[in-house]
Amino acid sequence: MPTKQAPTRQAITLKGSTNLVTEFFKYAANTILFQRGVYPADDFHMVKKYGQTVLVTQDLALENYLDKILKQVNKWLLTGSVTQLVLAIISKDSRTSLERWVFDINLVEQPSGESEAAPAKPEAEIQAEIRNILKQIVSTVTFLPVIDEPTVFNILAYTSESADVPADEWVDTDPLAIEAGKSQQVKLRSFSTDVHRIEAMVAYRYDG
Amino acid sequence: MSYLPKTPSTRHRSRSEAKTPLTPSLAVGLNSLSLATPSKADVSFANPFAASRPSSPAKRSASGSIQVSESLQRQASTGVIRKGGVESRLDVVTRDYVPPKSEKKRSKSQPSRDTRDRFITTRDPADDVAATLDLMSLNPQSASPGHTARLAAATGVPLNRRVLSYHEPPPPSASDPLLAQAREYARPLYARPGALPTSTSTATTGAKGRKISTQPERVLDAPGMVDDFYLNLVSWSCLNIVGVALAENTYLWRADSGEVVQLGEAPEGSYISSVEFSNDGLFLGVGVGTGAVELWDAESQTKLRTMSGHSSQVACLSWYQHILTSGCADGSIWHHDVRVARHKVGELIGHQGEVCGLKWRSDGELLASGGNDNVVNVWDGRIGDVAPGTRSAARWTKRNHTAAVKAVAWCPWQPSLLASGGGTSDATVHIWNTTTGARLHSLPTPSQVTSIQWSPHKKEFMTTHGYPTNAIMVHAYPSMERVAEIRDAHDSRVLWSAIGPAGDVVVTGAGDENLKFWRIWEVPKVRKSKESKDSSGRTGSTKSDILRIR
Repeated sequence: MPTKQAPTRQAITLKGSTNLVTEFFKYAANTILFQRGVYPADDFHMVKKYGQTVLVTQDLALENYLDKILKQVNKWLLTGSVTQLVLAIISKDSRTSLERWVFDINLVEQPSGESEAAPAKPEAEIQAEIRNILKQIVSTVTFLPVIDEPTVFNILAYTSESADVPADEWVDTDPLAIEAGKSQQVKLRSFSTDVHRIEAMVAYRYDG
Repeated sequence: MSYLPKTPSTRHRSRSEAKTPLTPSLAVGLNSLSLATPSKADVSFANPFAASRPSSPAKRSASGSIQVSESLQRQASTGVIRKGGVESRLDVVTRDYVPPKSEKKRSKSQPSRDTRDRFITTRDPADDVAATLDLMSLNPQSASPGHTARLAAATGVPLNRRVLSYHEPPPPSASDPLLAQAREYARPLYARPGALPTSTSTATTGAKGRKISTQPERVLDAPGMVDDFYLNLVSWSCLNIVGVALAENTYLWRADSGEVVQLGEAPEGSYISSVEFSNDGLFLGVGVGTGAVELWDAESQTKLRTMSGHSSQVACLSWYQHILTSGCADGSIWHHDVRVARHKVGELIGHQGEVCGLKWRSDGELLASGGNDNVVNVWDGRIGDVAPGTRSAARWTKRNHTAAVKAVAWCPWQPSLLASGGGTSDATVHIWNTTTGARLHSLPTPSQVTSIQWSPHKKEFMTTHGYPTNAIMVHAYPSMERVAEIRDAHDSRVLWSAIGPAGDVVVTGAGDENLKFWRIWEVPKVRKSKESKDSSGRTGSTKSDILRIR
């Protein structure tokens, strides 16, 4: 994705920003899956990204699965029809959702007309923001309850009614919400490109 | 709407314990009217139901009990969309909940009236109702639909939003159960202290680290060397001769001259399972896979005698003066007096599994043995006191190891110390005080312990290890700190080691068919220590002069 021609343009254009956001989701999802132990740790290998090492799965099936999802998310982002992505971690046996990693996707209001007036956000700054989110995801392990049961995950996309949904690939589903009384929510950092603004949040089941 | 549940309540209470009134369902309906965009879908949903149950509206009107529905109907008659919305909702309810039992019950008193149902809580959300609700972006499972709708309206969240997920579930984590099992087995290998993949083939120095050469001084090719944990195929005599068994042949390598001599062969169809030099270095005991123990003259390279009797392979041998002790795969330990015709002078029964480690203490008082039954035994070394064939019991038995104990070694400078090391699933070195039987120290290591050698000059001992580190490690005693480590000393697990007569060089053998000589320890005062040994009775600073004169 990072082409040699003017990397700063990535953040300006919708396409570039979409790719950036999609890529972020890939690494964020991988980080969560690793940190929360959804997949065994030795499925992951270290990759240099955003100026730090990120653990990325090398399980082919999972890789393909994420790719398929992200490809569609990418399309939705381009049309602006996805408003939220949720990675839910569900107990394998009881099927109750234990954690919901919520990423709100907001379109940044473009000043109509002379958009050139606003200085483009430097790529380095965006990367720093992304890095901070990923670091925060890693650090959440310190307060999230220890999961000692086998888990699975599910990725939910909140789209607008008018979204173009590929038939029989994406299906309407339950939001896998955690009961309000048992849910704790922690807001994480956010990052923004010139087009998108991503706000991260984690909700987890806490029966305390 | 509060009056809604009252009207049908008398009837409903009598026939069902579920008292959830009509409110939610109608709330849903009304919410859908107010919040959802008037969609054709509602109409289209309504029609099939109406078609499938044409009687229901008629029944409802006939009953006349539900005022609201009638009023709604009146309202609905003004607009097609409204009519479709409400009626579809009600029809869905009707169609959904038709338990045959209750129908039978009702059929007596109220024959055709109440097949319709308003109990939303009891219906299956996975049914086609769910599809209708999904169209409204309401979730029937997480909360009551009415609540969701009201909440949505209150918070200003657009209801026309869809929650989508990919149609197939994410792939299971370890799809291959065999792989998962293999991981499970491999985990202990890597989850051990010191098993960090940080330093490969470099000498890591601990706090009190000391640099040792990570390169062997000399490498000898040993083709045909058997990669078997339970055998003991390398011995180094005090005359500086290395005896090594390669499959069925025994070779002697003179360290002084580098000369190689083939000593002999195992009997046809068998193999050498152990070699051990006598303490004076003149004789070589050879254990054979058939169970025979051979005695060879290292000087003339002739076989002096064969002592048979064991039922299976003799995997370890140890000498004390004229007594050659052999450990057998059946768990028995025999003492052979090599001087007499009836060579078997003692039998020690204490192991359930194969005896794989056997060492006499240098003074002959104690004999240590380790077995495949994870047991370390220490035996009284006195032989003549009991009649031949008497089964003597071990002086003490230790079962702390959790894997085969192959590595046993007596400390040369503190006679009561015995070190023993366990196999793959144990990988721990225990140091015992053999006088009291106490366990003095324990040292977990990264991988299986295949042999232990104490340094004669330093308060250190060396361990050799198998997969995955294939390492030679040097530890301090009694701090048990790691002094040095040579990772991947061999390409395959390091199986055997023997220390040279000077106490500085150690030879290791491994399944990669190499013998490697490592200078582990320096002997800074070789002359002095040798002389002090020789002049053990004398004292004084001039003893070296005296010796030289003599």
